Amino acid sequence: MAGSRTGHALSRRAERVALPLAGLATALLLVVMLYYPVGTVLAEAVAGDGLSLAPLADVLSDPFYVGALAGAVADPAGVPAGVLRWAAGSAAALGSALVAVPAAALAPDATVLGALARLWATLVGVAPPFGLFGFTVWQALLSTVASLALGLPGAYALARFEFPGRRALESLTAVPFVLPSIMVAVGFVAAFGASGPLNDLLRAVGLPTVELLFSLEIIVLAHAFYNAPLVTRIVAAAWENVDARAVETARSLGASRRRAFRDVVVPQLLPAAATGALLTFIFTFMSFPIVLALGGLEFATVEVWLYDRVRQLELTEAAALAVLETLVSLGLTYAYLRYEDAVSRGDRVSSPLAREPLFGLDAKRLALGAYGLVVLVVFALPIASMLVASVAGPNGPTVQYYEFLIQRGETATAAQVNPAVAVRNSLLFGVGTLLVAVPMGIVLALASVSGGDARFLPRGLVPDALAGAGRRFVGVAAMLPFAVSGVVVGLGLLQGLVFGVEVFGARVALGGPLAIVAAHATGAYPFVVRNVAPLLGGLDRRLVESARALGATRARALVDIEVPLVMPGVAAGAAFAFAISIGEFDSTVILAEGSDAYTMPVAVERFLGRQTLGRATAMGSVLLAVTAGAFVVIDRVGGRYRE
Amino acid sequence: MSRKTEGRTASNGRTRRAYLAAAGTLGATALAGCAGFSGGGEPSGTLTVATYSSWVEDDGAAGPWLKDAFEAEYPDVTVEYTTPDSGLNNFIRRKQEGAPIDADVYVGLNVDQMIRIDSELDEALFDDVSGDLSNGDAVKSDLRFDPDGRAVPYDTGYIALVFDESAVDRPTTFDDLVSPGWEDTLLAQNAQSSDPGRAFLLWTVKQYGADGYLDYWRDLQDNGVTILDSWDEAYNNAYSNGERPMVVSYSTDQVYANRYDQDMTRHQVAFLNDQGYANPEGMARFADTDSPDTAAAFMDFMLTPEAQGEIAVRNVQFPAIPEEEANLTDEFAEYAKVPADPVTFTYDELKGNLNGWVEDWARAIAQG
Repeated sequence: MAGSRTGHALSRRAERVALPLAGLATALLLVVMLYYPVGTVLAEAVAGDGLSLAPLADVLSDPFYVGALAGAVADPAGVPAGVLRWAAGSAAALGSALVAVPAAALAPDATVLGALARLWATLVGVAPPFGLFGFTVWQALLSTVASLALGLPGAYALARFEFPGRRALESLTAVPFVLPSIMVAVGFVAAFGASGPLNDLLRAVGLPTVELLFSLEIIVLAHAFYNAPLVTRIVAAAWENVDARAVETARSLGASRRRAFRDVVVPQLLPAAATGALLTFIFTFMSFPIVLALGGLEFATVEVWLYDRVRQLELTEAAALAVLETLVSLGLTYAYLRYEDAVSRGDRVSSPLAREPLFGLDAKRLALGAYGLVVLVVFALPIASMLVASVAGPNGPTVQYYEFLIQRGETATAAQVNPAVAVRNSLLFGVGTLLVAVPMGIVLALASVSGGDARFLPRGLVPDALAGAGRRFVGVAAMLPFAVSGVVVGLGLLQGLVFGVEVFGARVALGGPLAIVAAHATGAYPFVVRNVAPLLGGLDRRLVESARALGATRARALVDIEVPLVMPGVAAGAAFAFAISIGEFDSTVILAEGSDAYTMPVAVERFLGRQTLGRATAMGSVLLAVTAGAFVVIDRVGGRYRE
Repeated sequence: MSRKTEGRTASNGRTRRAYLAAAGTLGATALAGCAGFSGGGEPSGTLTVATYSSWVEDDGAAGPWLKDAFEAEYPDVTVEYTTPDSGLNNFIRRKQEGAPIDADVYVGLNVDQMIRIDSELDEALFDDVSGDLSNGDAVKSDLRFDPDGRAVPYDTGYIALVFDESAVDRPTTFDDLVSPGWEDTLLAQNAQSSDPGRAFLLWTVKQYGADGYLDYWRDLQDNGVTILDSWDEAYNNAYSNGERPMVVSYSTDQVYANRYDQDMTRHQVAFLNDQGYANPEGMARFADTDSPDTAAAFMDFMLTPEAQGEIAVRNVQFPAIPEEEANLTDEFAEYAKVPADPVTFTYDELKGNLNGWVEDWARAIAQG
């Protein structure tokens, strides 16, 4: 059968080039949608008259930006003194606040709450004296701690317990992620305001009310609202991948339950938790709309400042800030990847831990019940408040805003946004993003884990000594969309693609649906990478090697063995990719300009009317309903691989 | 009222609401023959008007009415709106980068934007239309904010404080805002991004001078002022929720409250020192337009008494021509408040100072 043999050889050859080709396509997309546009903006930072580092030096020597570090160049000896003074002062303040907590517990009137509140106020008050950068890092750290505290118990509940609606709940954890900041601001102001339901409740049970609005606390809480679900999903995916047999082995060797958890389960969860923390830190480090809407200019972060610089067309200063921001994020990412590499993982073949029923009465479940209450306050209350805002007319409840949406769907005139078109576009772009970002993410995850170079390049091209550094470089570069300011990406797309570039005398401009999907995929693929790479790293290489020895091509081994084994990560990454696409605003609004390619978040912003939030929140409620439904469907489809 | 923080896109559809069409034809018959423009034949083709999104999206917005009325007057013209996300900056950057500009008219300029254009660009973004408008003379002279005659005012507003009289006393001076009776009461906006926010900042510069305004803002901060990014966030979200009893807004606030039959308790307007900061809005013709006559005809049309009345009521701003000449509703006349002593900075006073004032202010606030 010569024919079939040549056919077989052809398909093998095709498979051999498939991976390098996929790598090439991924690289090309990144150059067009990310590196080139962002490069055009960042180049401003070093392109004064000729090549100059002056703009960066200006920022680094300005006390407004870096506080006590500003003199580091002129007077290096002066810096430690300032920092030491701050450290000593803060330590003393924190120490006395800490001591006050147990003391209060022993006091006859038990004012623990007051003492805890004082401790928190002290913690918030000791922001490092490093100017705008110092404050930005500080609020990102607080936000990361809050997101972990809110997110980890959720991962435990979802991964280890079985209860009706668990799967749906798991799907819905992606919802906060997609909500436009204006909606979240509306929900938070309504929920936690002076006369909001939380304070009503506190008053009803005789507790002191809280003044949360326009403070660092509310910013941290809103950041946790966005990012705790992220921690939950990533850690839950890893937890479901823990091999039950390893735990059973430890138990049979005499380890206590706690010991088995500490020595077997925790090491397998740490990389996921650290990934969640890293992503949260980077996102909150770069946060700006939420800070502006809930805190105000007083709580400006570097990104808020950068956004304002761009709006003032001070592009050189903006570029310098963006370069420094990116360096911080990428530096963190690099440090994290070194850690991820160093964490040795046992070979894993997944046979998940058995789930326990949720309902019962013991300390563990009571704690989970208390956690459930916190989730209700932090997540359900703001979302419910958003929904309420969409039916609150100037003089009482009304459905007029929904009527407006329906009517506008029928009669949208020139330049007006049509809600029906926005819903359709959002879903189309979301699916398109899935189809592009998931393969992209898998390709980059493969390139960034051990043996990555051998998959894409001829054997022996890269010396072993360099392979590790190369992998980490790919891993860091893969995180670039997260590490670069969203404002800068938007500006770059506007100047680099929408304005167009001269190519051989003709102007080439990019915009519309395809460019939007490409931009969304560029923003979304790092999620796939971060969800898949840790699992790939833990794969048993021998499985792949056996398959290859038995004659499977690289691509075949990938599709038949590796991908199924890391499917929980792929599914988690896919849900995020969809969520990123649905929620994306900055790039979409720029690339959709002048076409009918606007999405739901764009419609929400457009419907902000004078004297009413009703139409914007009604559109936002539609967004909420449509995406919640979509997540459940996606999870049903992707979930086949997970159980 | 420009809100330059939102996304925008353009979509096409050609449905007219009956009453708009009726108003349009009425206007058209009343105006036949009024519109003068220099140059060749009857205006025709597509006219692209760049503007801010509330001009086209708001309830009963001025934009759709204007489009219908103008097209009824000139059947060969189609008006298309475009609302770029970054507003005027989009066109400044296009000019700087040598990218094409495909709009003919810009609606929604104020004086600081003219200053930005002149400091950022060497070539002309807009051209001087004063010679091409037959209705240009109708504009009140004290509103003209562009010495080069490019931007022509089409409406004007006054920045004032809106407050809740059940929660706080009426403030009458700037000193009131920094005294104990008004602690933690004021919501203002980011002067870098919001028109009313910037107007309020300039008002304090007017009051305390370039050397004293920052001290006043430090006192405001000590007294608990909150500065949110946009008018929407400050007014619709925070003020409407009762989070603070006072907000920097427009003196036409009661027109809205009356339109929706709201209780006037939360819609009291306060003019500090009997002043209000005047903020005229203008339109201009792009220098690169390939239909200068149609653009001029459109701008001329916006200055007719009929259009001036409609724009004022729909945009909830005062007309740019004398009020007795514009067809205003009684409701508007009753509820739109005018300060006894309007103040404002001229182009020449702001040039060379504005950026420094705003940036020093922003740094002071962010350090707070």
